[in-house]
Amino acid sequence: MKFGKKALAAGIMASALALSACGDSGSSTDAGGSGDSDKVYIAMISKGFQHQFWQAVKQGAEEKAAELGVEVTFEGPASETEVDGQLQMLQAAIDKKPDAIAYAALDPQACIPLLEQAEAAKIPVVQFDAGCDSEYPVNLAQTNSLDAGALAADHMAELIGGKGEVGIVGHSQINSTGVERRDGFVNRMKEEYPDVKIVDIQYGDGDHLKSADIAKAMIQANPNLKGLYGTNEGSAIGVVNAVNELGLEKGKLKIIGFDSGKAQTDAIRDGVMAGAITQDPIGMGAATVEAAMKAINGEEQEKLTGTPFYFYNAENIDDPEIAPVLYE
Amino acid sequence: MNAPLLKVEGVSKSFPGVKALDDVHFDVSRGEVLALVGENGAGKSSLMKILSGIYVKDAGTIYLEGEPVEITGPRHAQDLGIIIVHQEMNLMPHLTVAQNIFIGREPRVLGFLDERRLNRDTAVLLARLGISEFRPTDLVENLTVAKQQMVEIAKALSFDAKVVIMDEPTSALTQTETDTLFRLISELKASGIGIIYISHRMEELSRIADRITVLRDGKYIGTRERTAVTQHEIIKMMVGREINENARPATMRADNVDDVVLRVEGLSTKKLLRDVSFELRRGEILGFSGLMGAGRTELARAIIGADRTTAGKIFVNGVETTISQPAHAVAKGIGYLSEDRKQLGLLLDRDVNTNILLSSLGRYANFLGFMKTGPGKGTSRKYVESLRIKTPSIFATTKNLSGGNQQKVVIAKWLARDCDILIFDEPTRGIDVGAKEEIYRLLNELVERGKSIIMISSELPEVLRLSHRIIVMANGRITGELTSNEAEQEKIMDYATRISQ
Amino acid sequence: MSKTTTTTAAEKPVGEVTGPSRGSFLRDRLQQSLAFGTLIVLLIFFSLASSNFLSWSNISGILLATAVIGILAFGTTLVIVTAGIDLSIGTGMTLCAVVTGVLLVNWELPLLVGVLGGIATGALMGFINGFNVSVFKLPPFIATLAMMMIAQGLALVVSGVRPIYFSGVDGFKEIALGAIIPGLPNAVLILFLTGIAAFLLLSKTLLGRYTFAIGSNEEATKISGVNTGKWKILIYTVAGIFTGIAGVVIAARLDSAQPQLGVGYELQAIAAVIIGGTSLMGGRGSILGTLIGALIMSVLINGLRIMSVQTEWQNVVVGVVILVAVFTDSLRRRREA
Repeated sequence: MKFGKKALAAGIMASALALSACGDSGSSTDAGGSGDSDKVYIAMISKGFQHQFWQAVKQGAEEKAAELGVEVTFEGPASETEVDGQLQMLQAAIDKKPDAIAYAALDPQACIPLLEQAEAAKIPVVQFDAGCDSEYPVNLAQTNSLDAGALAADHMAELIGGKGEVGIVGHSQINSTGVERRDGFVNRMKEEYPDVKIVDIQYGDGDHLKSADIAKAMIQANPNLKGLYGTNEGSAIGVVNAVNELGLEKGKLKIIGFDSGKAQTDAIRDGVMAGAITQDPIGMGAATVEAAMKAINGEEQEKLTGTPFYFYNAENIDDPEIAPVLYE
Repeated sequence: MNAPLLKVEGVSKSFPGVKALDDVHFDVSRGEVLALVGENGAGKSSLMKILSGIYVKDAGTIYLEGEPVEITGPRHAQDLGIIIVHQEMNLMPHLTVAQNIFIGREPRVLGFLDERRLNRDTAVLLARLGISEFRPTDLVENLTVAKQQMVEIAKALSFDAKVVIMDEPTSALTQTETDTLFRLISELKASGIGIIYISHRMEELSRIADRITVLRDGKYIGTRERTAVTQHEIIKMMVGREINENARPATMRADNVDDVVLRVEGLSTKKLLRDVSFELRRGEILGFSGLMGAGRTELARAIIGADRTTAGKIFVNGVETTISQPAHAVAKGIGYLSEDRKQLGLLLDRDVNTNILLSSLGRYANFLGFMKTGPGKGTSRKYVESLRIKTPSIFATTKNLSGGNQQKVVIAKWLARDCDILIFDEPTRGIDVGAKEEIYRLLNELVERGKSIIMISSELPEVLRLSHRIIVMANGRITGELTSNEAEQEKIMDYATRISQ
Repeated sequence: MSKTTTTTAAEKPVGEVTGPSRGSFLRDRLQQSLAFGTLIVLLIFFSLASSNFLSWSNISGILLATAVIGILAFGTTLVIVTAGIDLSIGTGMTLCAVVTGVLLVNWELPLLVGVLGGIATGALMGFINGFNVSVFKLPPFIATLAMMMIAQGLALVVSGVRPIYFSGVDGFKEIALGAIIPGLPNAVLILFLTGIAAFLLLSKTLLGRYTFAIGSNEEATKISGVNTGKWKILIYTVAGIFTGIAGVVIAARLDSAQPQLGVGYELQAIAAVIIGGTSLMGGRGSILGTLIGALIMSVLINGLRIMSVQTEWQNVVVGVVILVAVFTDSLRRRREA
């Protein structure tokens, strides 16, 4: 495991050689100067770091890393629209020559050339949350957002009695989770619940304030609205704020949110919000690190790891299955 | 009582590489007008900035009413009673007259501005000065330059002024306006205020100065009683050599007389110009005279397509031409040299080379748009040499050149573009006496080489001296045309004031 | 910085009658009345287009949506009138919200301390901006761009990259959502109160006078004996206070301090100021105009949302409105010249 000064002196060539023999169990190096040079080092490039969801992924990854005695770094752009900024982070990560890279693609196409670089540098790549349209990565730990959106639709339809008008406050019409959570919802409604009418879909970039103003306008414009679906934490809280600000009767308008966060769990306990879909971000972080270790060790693994998602409401929010995957 | 009001002794000021003032001394008494003259760069403005507290002097002493004073800033100078009327308008165009005059001294009630008292105080002040041309509540941006100048003066006098320093106050004024200014000055004199009057204009000095102090290259040259000295002597002190003031234009070459390069017929614009027609011949300097606002600059702008015309035709070399933007004019070989060189004529922060080549850059680029530097430099060097532009190299920053040499750079720019018709708007404004001669000589050389020049100038001696023919404008129309033989100042002024036609 | 109006003015005919002050007053108001007209047209259009638009709850929603941007825009109007710009107000607002959160939630200090702490943070940022602009002579664009990034980073650092919830703080939410005047959210009341304060500041005080003077001709103002450096620091500080107030209002409205919010808010505020007829070149502007500008933006966005216009097209429409506003302004200026 240990690489001394000699190896360092031998420089990048040596580490490249070492990596080229990566079937060789445990052989690893750290040319990137991330301090502790004898630990396996995994660079995680996320879609963001400010949202609580990513903080939870980070937490899961770090816990798993501590358990396995490896080092992870976790970084992501300030906003989920900064495709370019994220690619630069990925480039820097490749240049650091970590033992593995874990990547969550903001854009499925833009990342392809960089993953080719990683392949050339023989750095194994695993993915989480959203994949890149490249054959190289060995694993993708992902919540199936289409299915998650469909689950939200099932519950919404049930709550409003199978018919009526609903609206969607989306967080992005570009990135894949935004699109799939919307499409999963819309398609399920179309296929299974023909009497449910989706009257409006608008996007608030996950900005709480903007989402609140959007939800208010939607409620004003559609007096018969029975339900609203917020596709991420910021969107869902925006909807909750709108209902509170308009002083609507609690629970009259059915709200289904996504992810967790204190404001959202409070709203669910309080009855303002009917329920939400949660992924398991902590589990996703842990699964990602595990997949990376497998890749480093050359173990075979499935291309796709489906990380679970759940619907939770005031009744099951404290269940042992749900409570651990919710974050504050 | 016998101590002079303001006395400056042994004042020096250096900037990196330049000694702006070197042991300068002068004094001014109560009720006296002291004219301070000198070429550009003689140190007048540095001296002013020291007196107004913007610069700190390196050495020397300033005495106010016999007491030595250290002036620490603009506010302090004002408090001491040393007031400056600046050459460049130092007004806030978006504020009203009253707000400008009392800037920094606003009356207030309970922390809020007392606009009513502000306007009342201003009205009283304007009445005292006999100014009725504008009101305290008028926005300064809506006033003419002359009226803005009067606002400046009213502002200066709103302080308890002891010494008033005026920097080129008449440079933008018409004759009547200048008269009004001089009336104000004599009132100031009568009330015991000492006036330091900075000017280029010799004829003005003989009207109002009591004594004249000459500076040259930052040094004190001498002081003369106005009654005991001629203009000629003063100019000699300023430039350190003889200047011929009464030259007349060289005669045009006879073979050019019928060769009309530019013909303008019935040109009118929406705002001002009415049915303007004239011809310009090869090798001719055609002078355009008139009062401020007569429409001369507007005419030039209409010809080059900078302003829209409502009627009229333009013929270049006998061919009717549509010129709807300055680029067309340039393509037809017409170059316009704006009076405002600093804003419109030059990139001051760039080098001489760039400026000379600016209009003809396209010629020095290859088909990909990359610049071919060699031939360009050759062109620049050629003009620097032939126009005798005084610059350390063609890569010197234009800002550092004197006004006269900057003007030459502008000329070089249009020559490099092969312009055969040059329209000069106030070619020597802001250029000192010695350099003026140089520009005059250059204009003569240009026409000898077959160029044709339209020269717009407000300085009658200049028009008389250079123009083969003189066209006088008033109120947007041509009111008279004179040949150089019949032209004299009185006739021109007669035409120029025929406003009510 | 000194602008020469001399060339154009010099060529005015001697005998031309200078417009009396009332004429110029009207002309100055033209952009505003134009903006006001736009606002009325929008209101009429949307009420015809959707019967749900002109309800009191929607109008109150529009006003509430205007509050944060409006308050930011008031402060930045002052800065823009000096021919400056303040890009730090968006993320600065977030930092103020986060500081309020730390004071009230983490340190459990009294409500007033938290609110004043947030506002003081804004003032401090404004002071630093002003100091950098006046003393270090940094271009306002650069100085405040740097501050924008610093504030963005600090907001994340101070909050620990997580939202701070005020659910335990009694009365905090009411700062924005309570209603001292029944039916009118307090945030809207604060919008109007800060508007009045900014109006008085800009048109009735020395600070306002020097704001215009500096924007009109800074050099001349300085030569007139006004300590322009000191006043600029003060102007930026005052703008910072407005940023702080906006920070408290947004935190109260969301009942939480969201550290990742704020980017882009500065541009919306600047757009409101420009639509309201304040000139980026300085010397010209008004608070009433800014209020109208902010209302135009939120009426427009709300109306488009009510009409279920796609989000993408909403942005396009807002962009076009900004272009039209700035274009008419330059058209007016050209006519003046």
